[in-house]
Amino acid sequence: MPSPSVELRAVSKSYGGFRAVDELSLRAPAGAIFGLLGPNGAGKTTSIRMIMDIIAPDSGEVRFFERARTPADLARVGYLPEERGLYRKMTVTDHLVFLGRLHGLGRRQAAAASELWLGRVGLAGWSARRVEELSKGMQQKIQLAGTVLHEPEILILDEPFSGLDPINQELFKELLAEYRRSGRTVVFSTHIMEQAEKLCDEICLISRGRAILSGALSEVKRRYGGNAYRLVASGELDRAAEVAGVESAVHQGGSVTLMLEPGARGADVLRELVGFLDVREFRSEEPGLEEIFIRAVRDAN
Amino acid sequence: MRTEHVRVIAVREYLARIRTKGFWIATAGLPLLMAALLVLPALLLTRTTSAHRVVLVDTTGALGEALVAELTGPPGPAPAEPPSESPPAVDTASIEARLQGFVPVLEAPATDLDRQRADLDRRVMAGEIDAWVWISDAGLAEDTIEYHAASVSNFVTQERLERAASTVIRAQRLADAGLDREQIDRLGRSIGLTTLRVTEEGSREEQAAPGVVLAYTLFFLLYVTILVYGQQVMLGVIEEKSSRIVEVIVATTRPIELMMGKLIGICCVALTQLGIWLGTIVVLTLPGVVARMDWLSGYADVPTVAPSLIVHFFAFFILGFVLYSSFYGSVGAAFNNVQEAQHFASIGAGFAIAPMLLVWMVLNDPDSTLSVVSSLIPVFTPILMLLRLAVKAPPGWQVALGYLLTVLLTWLMVWISGRVYRVGILMYGKKPSLPEIWRWIRYS
Repeated sequence: MPSPSVELRAVSKSYGGFRAVDELSLRAPAGAIFGLLGPNGAGKTTSIRMIMDIIAPDSGEVRFFERARTPADLARVGYLPEERGLYRKMTVTDHLVFLGRLHGLGRRQAAAASELWLGRVGLAGWSARRVEELSKGMQQKIQLAGTVLHEPEILILDEPFSGLDPINQELFKELLAEYRRSGRTVVFSTHIMEQAEKLCDEICLISRGRAILSGALSEVKRRYGGNAYRLVASGELDRAAEVAGVESAVHQGGSVTLMLEPGARGADVLRELVGFLDVREFRSEEPGLEEIFIRAVRDAN
Repeated sequence: MRTEHVRVIAVREYLARIRTKGFWIATAGLPLLMAALLVLPALLLTRTTSAHRVVLVDTTGALGEALVAELTGPPGPAPAEPPSESPPAVDTASIEARLQGFVPVLEAPATDLDRQRADLDRRVMAGEIDAWVWISDAGLAEDTIEYHAASVSNFVTQERLERAASTVIRAQRLADAGLDREQIDRLGRSIGLTTLRVTEEGSREEQAAPGVVLAYTLFFLLYVTILVYGQQVMLGVIEEKSSRIVEVIVATTRPIELMMGKLIGICCVALTQLGIWLGTIVVLTLPGVVARMDWLSGYADVPTVAPSLIVHFFAFFILGFVLYSSFYGSVGAAFNNVQEAQHFASIGAGFAIAPMLLVWMVLNDPDSTLSVVSSLIPVFTPILMLLRLAVKAPPGWQVALGYLLTVLLTWLMVWISGRVYRVGILMYGKKPSLPEIWRWIRYS
């Protein structure tokens, strides 16, 4: 069986004169959790909808399983849209069976899968209830169950964590970890960088429809992280930004994160700093994705 | 289009609707209502006991007794009928007599007429009698008799009294002119129409009024179900859009499959309901059933529903439903909520109002130019052509042309709706303008 990879090749989509996605290429290898990152309006949902064949790209190619996507592939994908709903009047089991059948399961198969997944999300006793009788958190669990009911090899999740309560967030994280362990593929979009940082193996940062950096998370950090130092000191901290070789100084709680210009050396900067500050701590730091992202967006524009 | 997806969607729609209480209440309610309309009046007739106590004063002296006889006896100029048949059989004449329930008392004119009149008024006010009738030469010279009652809005009773008085007075006048009793009966007989309906199978005896009632009933059923279920499609689409369930469904299902599934599912719900209703009508109008129900007044006049009419009914329902509900579906998809959509939905309702205005004109003259033309306008055809088929067989070419034009318009409508639906269903936020919707149709 070919590995469940997901790939976009130079995909573009315009609405009128507005270029929502511009020559976007990305590749989520099998067994990876892939984060599609970017601020609101960057083109994440449009990209995901093109992956799911909900909208057609103007140009470019979407590939699943190392080949061009076929309509039948979508039954092997679990998709959770950013804005998601359920039929309120249906019973939980009827609803899950309905979703399972749309993914090509037979009636009995779908019923068995829905029972299994209701047990796994802890709603085994609720199968005969109507969706509208469930709490919001329970409905989120039903949505999760509906997404993975048919044991897809690929998961495409659009802002999966938005609006989730902490218990369901944990449930989702476990699910993602399980997918990684079993060599299946997850693509999810988020605008919350800390989440991506904790979960992703691979990322693609997009802004205004264009990929501005992508690759393995560790590689991205190494490549774009550059010269970040954490400074704990007292004195005229505002002057730290003016020191030669310092690109930016961001105050965070009791410390300052200094971004040095490429090529600038920490030792030189420290020598300057001790001239006017009482330095207690100065150490090289791996930058957060948030900072990398902000910098990358600024550089790209 | 993948039939499996369409089927799964359609089955869901069908079951979701058929399992609601509202569906069964409506489905059972209409036949019960119709049965009630048939049975209740008859029951009321057989139960009515309230009598109209009326005092007759005849100052001419020649008419009083004959009028009392006319009011208490069976109506009509031929009173010779066998007095009583088998007990359960209630003949309409005696029901009618009992409904009007005259208890006439003839009182001789007193010497002081003014005092007698005042006394009669007092008795009406006291509730001893309901009315009094005054027959005088002066009145007869102007062809009237006086009727005094506390309430004068009982025109059924008044009309009966009027008829009885006319019969009696006419007979008296004819007798005065020298005719004998037998001649008077023969000359005074009134004329009825034997109505025959010309159909493909030849002339068939049929009562005019029940035929119109049947045509109107079918027209009304078709009209209401097309509009109600069209609205259901719109509300269903809006629900799917506003709850965002559609976002989940489009992952595996093309919008056109979703729309088709929805139309088919809801159409089957409507067909189930109509099937039950028409089945009830057909069973109730089977000749055998009609024969057994003859104890109900008027039931014997019920016309039998021709099978071809049933076929036309369902064919026009399916066409009309697809035409209107694909329009309603695209309206639902284009807007974000019911309020926004209502504005546009009223266009559909507007098209449907015209047949309502034309129905009596078509019933009265199904072959007039206006009837023919309006029944060939595709948005009206399903409803108006059925009406024409129900009252009078229109020329075959007109029916065929009606079908052809409607199929063409329906096909166009489905095509347009599919395009609007496909774009609209994933558009949120701003209410789209007409030019925008036009762009969706052109470019999507």
